[in-house]
Amino acid sequence: MTSIGTGYDLSVSTYSPDGRLFQVEYAGKAVDNSGTAIGLRVKDGVVLAVEKLTQSKMLVPGSNLRIQAADRHIGIATSGLLADTKHIVNRVRDEARSYRDIYGIPIPAKVMAERLGLYVQAYTSYSSVRPFGCSTLIGMVDEDGPQLYMVEPSGNFWGYHACAVGKGKQVARTELEKLKLADMTARQAIKEATRVIYTAHDEAKDKEFELELTWISDETNGRFERVPKELVAEAEAYAAESLSAEMDDDE
Amino acid sequence: MAPSLKSGEVNLGTTIMAVVYDGGVIIGADSRTTTGSYIANRVTDKLTKIHDRIYCCRSGSAADTQAVADIVHYYTQMYQVQHNAAPTTQVVASLFRELCYSNRNNLMAGIIVAGWDERVGPSVYSIPLGGSIHKQAYAIGGSGSSYIYGYCDANYKDHMNREEAIDFVKKAIALAMSRDGSSGGTIRLAVITEGGVERMFVPGNQLPTFYEG
Amino acid sequence: MDARIDLNNIGFDFDLTKRNAGLEANGATAPKATKTGTTIVGLLFKDGLVLGADTRATEGPIVADKNCEKIHYIAPNMYCCGAGTAADTEFTTNMISSQMELHRMSTGRESRVVTAMTLLKQYLFRHQGHISAALVLGGFDVTGPHLYTIYPHGSTDKLPYVTMGSGSLAAMSIFESRWRSDMERQEAIDLVKDAIEAGIFNDLGSGSNVDVCVIEKGKVDYLRNYARPNERAQKEQSYKFPRGTTAVLKTSIRDLVQVTEDTAMDIST
Repeated sequence: MTSIGTGYDLSVSTYSPDGRLFQVEYAGKAVDNSGTAIGLRVKDGVVLAVEKLTQSKMLVPGSNLRIQAADRHIGIATSGLLADTKHIVNRVRDEARSYRDIYGIPIPAKVMAERLGLYVQAYTSYSSVRPFGCSTLIGMVDEDGPQLYMVEPSGNFWGYHACAVGKGKQVARTELEKLKLADMTARQAIKEATRVIYTAHDEAKDKEFELELTWISDETNGRFERVPKELVAEAEAYAAESLSAEMDDDE
Repeated sequence: MAPSLKSGEVNLGTTIMAVVYDGGVIIGADSRTTTGSYIANRVTDKLTKIHDRIYCCRSGSAADTQAVADIVHYYTQMYQVQHNAAPTTQVVASLFRELCYSNRNNLMAGIIVAGWDERVGPSVYSIPLGGSIHKQAYAIGGSGSSYIYGYCDANYKDHMNREEAIDFVKKAIALAMSRDGSSGGTIRLAVITEGGVERMFVPGNQLPTFYEG
Repeated sequence: MDARIDLNNIGFDFDLTKRNAGLEANGATAPKATKTGTTIVGLLFKDGLVLGADTRATEGPIVADKNCEKIHYIAPNMYCCGAGTAADTEFTTNMISSQMELHRMSTGRESRVVTAMTLLKQYLFRHQGHISAALVLGGFDVTGPHLYTIYPHGSTDKLPYVTMGSGSLAAMSIFESRWRSDMERQEAIDLVKDAIEAGIFNDLGSGSNVDVCVIEKGKVDYLRNYARPNERAQKEQSYKFPRGTTAVLKTSIRDLVQVTEDTAMDIST
């Protein structure tokens, strides 16, 4: 970042001479420091997985969730500043409830992504606030089938077949791109998601992590659920096997 | 406080009705609008278009139901551009319910929403005074409906064809008009199908007749 | 951070209205506004539409104005008859007229009748019937001639012939028996005149003269006092008493003012 120290990064309401908003870019850095979050959109559902880095062995497993439900059919995976993500999840829940109240039907993914994007964007336009230090993966099954969107700190959002954010996003994306997502079932995607998270995990920098694994598919009747223990165990076994196979290849 | 008609307020002392049949939905209404004992409009159209293939039948205060229908019309237009798709009948009914329920202390509006949409085909929703919502195979409403509950229950059939359904609605409304002083005039009908909306009109001198004493 | 609007906390507050109703129930009397018993009408004919009104304004049992104007200007192609509280019809039509002019300036297009109708109905609905204005709105715009009635609570009707006000029943009886579609201009004017006269003669609240307004494509004729059916007629006899009818019994003349002379004060310098 060549322009650092020139004063154009002090306020989100000031552009740099080459048209950048540094505070928004820095918010992106906050996301890059966080544990990897991935989403896979497959033929019968969506799988969200997060590498939740644990600061201390004394933390209770299952606390500080980074994938949460926003409605019966919506899962939200977040990456970035944990406190910011909680605010975002709250907002997503409000939007989901408000839409249900007014229209009497579950909110479609595109509308949710649009509304959250609009909300996040507003925090990039005023000097009195800072942009959100988190990216949000919205996974759901709506009337048009499985959907996956990601909203960035800038307020930009896109629909994805698969996406990854956080520390290991490069590795994860490379792995995700190899997958034949369109032919995959959610059950298979769970395994692949687990493998991708384990692959993206950097053993050297971060020791402990907890795998958060959720899905929405035909098997869950279109509802957002955490993946059952047996399936997680199965997926972790598959991941470990693949990783050791890779290791063997490398040798 | 329960809503009541304010003095001098225009009243749709009314008979309205909507029936699902195979392939579409028929809606109908009488055409009388009253202020006290005076008929302010004898050819009223109480069937109001909300979207291309979704209509509502209005009963209660003319001012309240027109205002609510105008607002829902506006919301559905916004829905159309935001979602780039037509709203379903359920969505429109839900919008009516939201407005009728949250303003239930200030509104006199009994509304039937009926329409055809891509997702479920024909459907009918009734939103009576308190702002509750009921999905029904057929719905009747307005002051005249009290007189025809028996007739409708006795004569409604699942899977009617178009002609049977039109006949059912026509006869039911004519019966209500003959017994309810606040209903009368002519019968206005609309047939809503995938293909669009067909409006029909039965003049006061061509109504179905029954026992006249 | 609620994404929802609380519908119960927006709009007008009618608390004081409720208070006043309570005070009146306990015997207090509120000041009365001037209500005009009125006959106003409108009808469509072949090339346009005709509006009509009587010209009596009343304050209770008193005729406050024997020749008032009840056909109000809204736009060059649009007029509006008003019944109800004179102040409310006058203010409401004036305000909408001003909004229509501003709208014309910003769009550069001729005003449409639906626009005025929508503004009026939304304004009246917002005030929940407390603005006592019953209106007949008529105009000719790019989509043709339009005629609406607007009730004080904000409901509207679109019909080929309409009447409003206390004389509306008398006027409607004329329309119901004689209105036809595609009438000629003069036939239409005559029918409107007869309808208003029915109100003038049979309704206590209506009286005096007939105002008529004919609106056609690109042309408006405001015929003020088109008919004057209540002109004071020449008295058949003279009722003056001849001089000397009353006998003079006594004459007494007194000075009411004492005139004294004095030197005038000089105020020039």
